[in-house]
Amino acid sequence: MATPVPVLRLPKGPDPNSRGFDPNSPRYIALCRTSIPTSAAAESDPQQLQEEQHARSVLRERFLRCLLAMSNKKVRFHMHEKVNIEATFGASDIDVLNFQVSDLHTPIGVQKEALIRSQDVISFTFDV
Amino acid sequence: MQCGWLHSGPQLWLRCVHRQVRVTAGKQREEHRGWLLTVDPVSHSVALVSFGEDGASVRVVLGHAVEHVEVLQEPDPDTEERLRSLLPPPETGGPDPGERRRRRSGVRRWLQQNRVPVEEDGNELRVARVLTIRAPYRPDDCSSANQIILDRVQRLLRVQPDPVPDSDPVLETSPAPETAPDLDGPIPPGH
Repeated sequence: MATPVPVLRLPKGPDPNSRGFDPNSPRYIALCRTSIPTSAAAESDPQQLQEEQHARSVLRERFLRCLLAMSNKKVRFHMHEKVNIEATFGASDIDVLNFQVSDLHTPIGVQKEALIRSQDVISFTFDV
Repeated sequence: MQCGWLHSGPQLWLRCVHRQVRVTAGKQREEHRGWLLTVDPVSHSVALVSFGEDGASVRVVLGHAVEHVEVLQEPDPDTEERLRSLLPPPETGGPDPGERRRRRSGVRRWLQQNRVPVEEDGNELRVARVLTIRAPYRPDDCSSANQIILDRVQRLLRVQPDPVPDSDPVLETSPAPETAPDLDGPIPPGH
């Protein structure tokens, strides 16, 4: 187990409310849409809409249970440029945009707590 | 089920659950094979499980990285059974009725001691008409649309002391604890 080393604090990122991170900006809406809209077929037919909503809730519940099974476990994140890092999973936000992790093993040291953007991650694995 | 995976609806995804799929992800077009656990309708992330010698490992491919999904085969009965046991559905059963009644009144008394308005409604407890607690009345069995009340009630349930066997409401002399949280808000200092 690598001993934690002090990590250089990188400069503060862009202000979340400035241009580009504005929730109403076209860039944010294009990159981080919160949910898929209902399909056109379902919009016209209430029976289909109900079925679609049921399917959505079942799938979402399974996904949330998956996330629950992952909490406090060692998770390996596979990111761009073949970067693989390991951390202990904490939580995810509702739109699966950010992951809160502890003991993040980075190439420059171990970060006690960190927030990982989901756009930087391609996939992550854990053992059940 | 090749192209347009991301644009097909949740109904298609639900039909493909438990089947073996191959997911191509990322710019490097890495391929991942596994049994489909679920597809998140919010982020389009695909959860796959693969079974090894020492157990199962789950891989979640984020929605923005999914390039292509192909369904390969249906699961055999053994695999289907293992998949079903991985993500157990919520427990609907519970302890026997007598035990359930005891737990329910224990939880109700604890909440009332803490000045929380609660009523029994059949097998459930209703708090302030906005939160429901199902059997077996643990913190995870609470459901409500109001996050603040949910959080407070869950915290209360977590610190509930173990019930004293055959405690009589008349003989209970313990007053409400000093640290009883108030649903209206924190007590300001100096009071």
